[in-house]
Amino acid sequence: MELLERFAQGDIDAFEALFQQFQRDVYGWILRIVRDPAAAEDLTVETFWRIYKARARFDPQASFGAWARRIATNLAIDHLRYRRPEQELPAQLGAPDGPNPALQREARDQIQRAFRRLPAKLQAAATLAFIEEKSYDEIADALGVSVGAVRLRMFRAVRILRKEFNRMGLKP
Amino acid sequence: MTKPENHYDDVRAIVKKTFQPVAGGEPPRDLWPAILRKLDAHALRRRVPWYDWALLGALVGTLAIFPDLILVVMYHL
Repeated sequence: MELLERFAQGDIDAFEALFQQFQRDVYGWILRIVRDPAAAEDLTVETFWRIYKARARFDPQASFGAWARRIATNLAIDHLRYRRPEQELPAQLGAPDGPNPALQREARDQIQRAFRRLPAKLQAAATLAFIEEKSYDEIADALGVSVGAVRLRMFRAVRILRKEFNRMGLKP
Repeated sequence: MTKPENHYDDVRAIVKKTFQPVAGGEPPRDLWPAILRKLDAHALRRRVPWYDWALLGALVGTLAIFPDLILVVMYHL
């Protein structure tokens, strides 16, 4: 019997095989959105737990990777929704300091806070498009929405960010 | 492949200067044991049927209202 069919019937060995095959992809995807390794670990575990609970609804003919990524994206967005924008980002995920580190760090903190004040859905789309350079098609697939919806989220995110950056006196 | 519009370049430039793309994305440890713990906890919760919890609740409620019955219950245990 196929691995996906065995998984859908609740076979724990099949689930473990799928976990080993996809955990790196799921973890990496979540990390790209939440940008916090500890939170990404917890959310990866939660994603696979939800996958296991929903196994009966999974169609073995469909793509497991795409399904897992969609569940992971929804959980990551929920995490962004409840995380405070003031919370520090792990240092390694920020950009390196330039010639005037103190000034640059302050400006960078302001920009980070502005970015993280975006509504969760807009923030996820903007992170994937601007920082991770993912295509709208890939983002739409992971979010489970149309490319048009991604385009609209990007439009709204850019409008908010541009306003914030102008208020901070940042000239692009 | 659809990419972000060019007229977003100003905002994108600022954001990209502030955040770095995530490289790699390998989990720092094996997460399978954590999944197994969740599975075990779930199995344990499911092993006790709901009516056992209901009976326990009723017993606790009764003892809270009639504390004298505690001695009778203890005698029968």
